Amino acid sequence: MNATFAIAGATFGEAIRKRILMVILLAALVIILISPAFEPFAGRGQRTLILSFGFGIVQLAGTFIAIIMCTGLIPTEIERRTIYTILSKPVQRWSFVVGKYLGAVSTLAFVYLMMGMVFMIVSRIALGEFDPKIAQGLIMFFFQSSLLAAVTLFFSTFVSPLVNYFLSGGVFLMGNLMSSFLETIQRNPEITPWTRVPIQILTVILPNFANFNIQNPIINPEQVLTDEVAYLIQTVLYAIVYVVLLLVASILVFNQREM
Amino acid sequence: MSDYAIKINNLTKRYSGLWSQQPVDAVKNLNLEVHRGEIFGFLGPNGAGKTTTIKVLLGIIYPTSGEAYVLGKPAGDPQNHYQISYLPENPYFYDYMTGREILHFYARLFGIAEPERSRRVDQLLERVGLSRAANQPLRTYSKGMLQRIGLAQCLINDPQLLILDEPTAGLDPIAHIDIRDLILELRAQGKTLFISSHQLSDVEIVCDRVAILHKGELVRIGKLEDLLSGGYVEMIAEKVPEAVLEPIRQLGGRPSLHDGRLVVEQPDDGSIDRVIDLVRAHGAHIISVKPYRRTLEDLFVETIQGGGRR
Repeated sequence: MNATFAIAGATFGEAIRKRILMVILLAALVIILISPAFEPFAGRGQRTLILSFGFGIVQLAGTFIAIIMCTGLIPTEIERRTIYTILSKPVQRWSFVVGKYLGAVSTLAFVYLMMGMVFMIVSRIALGEFDPKIAQGLIMFFFQSSLLAAVTLFFSTFVSPLVNYFLSGGVFLMGNLMSSFLETIQRNPEITPWTRVPIQILTVILPNFANFNIQNPIINPEQVLTDEVAYLIQTVLYAIVYVVLLLVASILVFNQREM
Repeated sequence: MSDYAIKINNLTKRYSGLWSQQPVDAVKNLNLEVHRGEIFGFLGPNGAGKTTTIKVLLGIIYPTSGEAYVLGKPAGDPQNHYQISYLPENPYFYDYMTGREILHFYARLFGIAEPERSRRVDQLLERVGLSRAANQPLRTYSKGMLQRIGLAQCLINDPQLLILDEPTAGLDPIAHIDIRDLILELRAQGKTLFISSHQLSDVEIVCDRVAILHKGELVRIGKLEDLLSGGYVEMIAEKVPEAVLEPIRQLGGRPSLHDGRLVVEQPDDGSIDRVIDLVRAHGAHIISVKPYRRTLEDLFVETIQGGGRR
């Protein structure tokens, strides 16, 4: 495991020095900081504005950072040939893949910590109260981004970064929309099984990213999550199981890969 | 314990083409043995299959057919990697790290714990002459310094076998000599070195045996002293009559005579003494006698341009 953690540490160190990732993080922090200034233009309550703005920016930045960081995780190592000096040491390929993923998740944790701290400070100052549920929403977004990072890492074991941007972005979009799309289809009796069944299969295969979007009950307290604790635990477990499955698939593909 | 540091039996690596492209054999039926404790030069023009062979030895790619053994175990066995090291051509390291940090990183891959890790890192930085630059980020290093840090990471595990791909490429003369000396020092310690290089003058100085690969096939292999035997001696003389030409040809020489000036290329087999006697006996005046040793470059060019197996 020593090697895995060494690779994770190097991945984290490199990621937090990537200019593009830090520009996205910095932009997100600035937008969250100045969000109370938009109140006169919003036409909504201050609470709704600050929370929906903050959650929106955090999710957007987290998504972009996860995809941009992970598309290059493996192809860049091959292109620069750093992978040869690593795999020629007593490092198993699974250890390399897991190390890269842990490094990516550590980076996401750092990014979410920074954005979360600024978001909570801004909401505390602007709203005069601290709502612990904001942290809950941020943690769910962190798991959402971590799952997206695993999807992107899986694709990075066999496709180029450019293709991976579209694949991972597409999976994220579909994974956010599929469950509501399926509900709509199921309510419509005119849809034939030929259309419904493939959509049902896709909904099962694709990770359900919509599960993690719990910001609405936090922004609007009149909306309530039924059995909230069970829902949160179930969603986190769903993310962990899905990540493990994706890592196993990534390792299987990477084991066969010739560089 | 196997006598061979590397043993390759009938190794073939084929890259399948996409769609209509023909498959390409990067390495064809390669048989090779590298003895423990020797410096082995692995030569060939670009695209000869050298790096492909090295990647197979490291388990980074898999052979299409045949077998490769490293230190007696199948190539790619991660347990084996405790005893081997690899320096790729133009190595790139995480350049945000300092020289010291990158060596700590590689030491951690071997599971080397503190305080032993720090001791080895300091020792290696000293050995490759980078102690003063140890805390500078690698992005500020020159090519020579990066090559030195590359060699230091190769030595972090005190390996039995070092596989070096172009270890002296692009270095200034001083760095060149330093790295060559380090290679010789490693052999003196009993290490095996497998060196792929285009720097034939370096290979000629440090290697015990060489193999030349061409279009994926092994075309020459042997001890340097055997492969480079067969130089010639050039003799120039004046006032030489035509009558000496035929006796010189009979002694195996290649004479050419213009206006009484004779130039002879005589095999380096001792027959030059008889040629000198012959020329003197005809009253000629000898201007110079100069031996020409065959170089590895001669052998390489002759082998590759000849294209045939010898």
